[in-house]
Amino acid sequence: MRRVFLTIIALATICFSGYAQRAKSVILVYLDGGPAQTDTFDPKPEMGRNYHGNFKGVCKTNVEGIEIGEKLPLLAGMADKYSLIRSLTHGSNAHETGHYAMITGDTSGGAVVYPSFGAVISYMKRDTYKGILPCYISVTSANSRFNEGGFLGNQYKSFDTGGKPESSEYEVEGIVNKHIDRQRMDSRMALLDDFEGKEQGDKSIDSLRKVNMEFIWGDSREVFNLKNEPDSVRQRYGKSRLGQSCLVARRLVEAGVPFVNVRTTGWDTHKKHFSKMNTMLPDLDRALSALIADLDSRGLLDSTIILCGGEFGRSPKVLWEAPWNGGRAHFGAAFSYLVAGGGFQGGKVLGATDKTGEKVAQRPVSPCDLIGTVYLLMGIDPYGTLPHVSEGELPILPSLLDSKKSHGLLYEIIDVKKPDHEK
Amino acid sequence: MKRAFLLVFVCLIFSKVKADSSVKCPDEVFLRRAYLTVTGALPTPPQCVEFLDDNNPNKREQLIDHLITSELGLKYMQMRWGDILRIKSEFPSNLWPNGVQAYNRWIYEQLMNNVPYDKMVRGLLLSAGSNFRAPAANFYRGFQKRSAKNFYDNINLLFLGNRECTDNGHICFSQIKFKSTKEWKEEIVYLDIHKRVPQLEVELDDTTILKLRADSDWRETYVNWLTSSDNRRFAEVMANRMWFWVFGRGIVHEPDDWRYDNKPSNPELLNELTDYFIASKFDMRALLKRILMSEQFNSADGFTPQRLPAEVIVDAIASVTGIWSTYTSRVPEPFTVYPPRTRSTHLGDATVSSSELELFGKVSRDVSLESQRNNSITSRQLLYLMNSSVLESRIRKSPILQRIYVNSANIEQLASSITLLVLSRRATKQEVAMYSDYMAKNNLPLIEVAIDIMWMQINSNEFLYNH
Repeated sequence: MRRVFLTIIALATICFSGYAQRAKSVILVYLDGGPAQTDTFDPKPEMGRNYHGNFKGVCKTNVEGIEIGEKLPLLAGMADKYSLIRSLTHGSNAHETGHYAMITGDTSGGAVVYPSFGAVISYMKRDTYKGILPCYISVTSANSRFNEGGFLGNQYKSFDTGGKPESSEYEVEGIVNKHIDRQRMDSRMALLDDFEGKEQGDKSIDSLRKVNMEFIWGDSREVFNLKNEPDSVRQRYGKSRLGQSCLVARRLVEAGVPFVNVRTTGWDTHKKHFSKMNTMLPDLDRALSALIADLDSRGLLDSTIILCGGEFGRSPKVLWEAPWNGGRAHFGAAFSYLVAGGGFQGGKVLGATDKTGEKVAQRPVSPCDLIGTVYLLMGIDPYGTLPHVSEGELPILPSLLDSKKSHGLLYEIIDVKKPDHEK
Repeated sequence: MKRAFLLVFVCLIFSKVKADSSVKCPDEVFLRRAYLTVTGALPTPPQCVEFLDDNNPNKREQLIDHLITSELGLKYMQMRWGDILRIKSEFPSNLWPNGVQAYNRWIYEQLMNNVPYDKMVRGLLLSAGSNFRAPAANFYRGFQKRSAKNFYDNINLLFLGNRECTDNGHICFSQIKFKSTKEWKEEIVYLDIHKRVPQLEVELDDTTILKLRADSDWRETYVNWLTSSDNRRFAEVMANRMWFWVFGRGIVHEPDDWRYDNKPSNPELLNELTDYFIASKFDMRALLKRILMSEQFNSADGFTPQRLPAEVIVDAIASVTGIWSTYTSRVPEPFTVYPPRTRSTHLGDATVSSSELELFGKVSRDVSLESQRNNSITSRQLLYLMNSSVLESRIRKSPILQRIYVNSANIEQLASSITLLVLSRRATKQEVAMYSDYMAKNNLPLIEVAIDIMWMQINSNEFLYNH
């Protein structure tokens, strides 16, 4: 009863308080391991070599007053298309808790494990999303550090494509399998039918298999076929795993998929930080700038949210001493995210760190504030609820209701006005 | 055989016909069912042949005795305990790899020595000391939210099937404290026994009054009450849980939801099992054997088919193809690299996973509820089975299939060997004829037919279900 009642309230909130859907899709470019904010979106060139390390320069962007790291010239040329949040903070320096915070918006230490925001969106869109592809897709795999489905359950976890988008043949688990053509698959299915017996087989599993056959051999296959793209486009994104994954993400968004997680690893650079960044940052610069520009030129940026960041940042102070010899440590006190599209404005900077980059100086942003804003733009009430199997209805973002944990949704950088009752 | 399986399947899943459990299932059905239920592993072809050709009238009982005490059987039971005790290196239990290993070893020893249930529970609940040196102390460390209330709620859920505690029993767990040591990730669970509370009498929901003595371990007072054979609910919950572990459905269902309005489906059966369990002095092995020797477990159509659990499916595919996944935990330190051919049922740590395990619903061990394991089949899982390039290449590269191919003179031998390997039974004449037709009709070389037969059998309901 209580659940029904709360559901009604939740529905009523969505219907009447004006959370119109602004964005249709989210692309999360997740830099797993934790990227250095000072080498990317919050450079500190004046702090000397102990802070800026080998990257003392900056790129002036095409927006007056905004500078980003020297290794990101392509992104610098399009700062009017995205905004930077320089004041994200959750204080956690451990991968799993930082990851949990950035992916769920919840803080760890509670008795309940929350679902990732991709799973929440997948759950919320379960009745309205009619696409053939899964609602939440990871290219090529999600981070399995914690249970992504949380208390919502397995069915809302991401579909992991697997495979290598940068190779000549991108094999997508369960969809594209280069060994088997249609004819062979039909023969195999006929054999299975014979074996199980037409009369006696399990009808429900049988019909799921039939739907899968249409799925495998239908349009879904072509969505993943990067050979459909001109080579110039593939070059523009970069022929790396990250570049081609971003291209896959654009194709998935074009096909209407609500949540795409492009996860790229290797950002946990305790050692050899600068030499690794020398190759990883240009790769990111190329892929992310191509993604934003491509979506923009296709008229999709307005309805697609792009987020780029990791589970935390890295220490602004370089660890020159052994055994790190020029590395950066985990840093959850202050770090940056890039946000673009889907109602996020371009050309803005939200929040600031202090001179060293070690503390948030202005407008702190908690993970729940960022994720709550994504929910808002996706037409999901950030103050709504989710069903828990034994606890009844739980707030979708508990931290958002706690003034010690939340610093408010990001109305400063979105196209949606703050409703009067929240002022 | 296939026919028998399908009939069971159709009757139980789709028509919901009440089963008549008086007809005994054939040996080959019993064999596979017993192996999967007790060990989470398929019988190997030699094990199948040995059992099927054995004329001993007591062979079923002998097999049960063997499986229950085998390493595979103990390890599979250890996994079930690990699920409800939420054994995991990282978030949210955060036991850390060394703690996980020590804790798993402790559970394995309890099972290996067949420690009575009440003693095992006492060992868990009265634990204290270092997480590395007193492994059961990990029971208390494995809570993200470390409060007496949270410990008490979980103890109620695990051992009394009570999801909502309204009494003040948590006072008995309010002396528990934690401190770290200088050793990496070592932590001591200790008791502040000089803690003062205003009242030293705690009334439980069933009106029992526990009198706590000053300067003593209050947990002991509670645990004495909990594990007493007069506390019937304690025995009932375990008896029912064991039934659930075997049949996938509790006599009280969910097995951890004993609300007054959630009645047992068969009160006589529950009573009988509980009486037996108490009379045996909480002998868990005897309880399991009793259930496995029951008419229902041995019947042709009294056993509801259950989709194999995630770990069991993944291991079954690995064992029939001979190509095993390698499991590692690169984080947190110390890095864990599992030896080659480690079964996923033996990982012991929910932090260690794979895409396949996630796909089929490996338990993440966030909560102690049995319902966290979802064994329904989804279209995504079928998609993987039908068209995964990973699975396809495992079949193509399977050294076992290659060996069968090399040793088979014709399609009959080939089909028989594959069927014994994958489905743990002999192929029927009709099936062999069907495979011959398949080869002729599709004009495929024998090795390609072998690949297709293995693919088809792995995709069949007969393989995907314990039936």
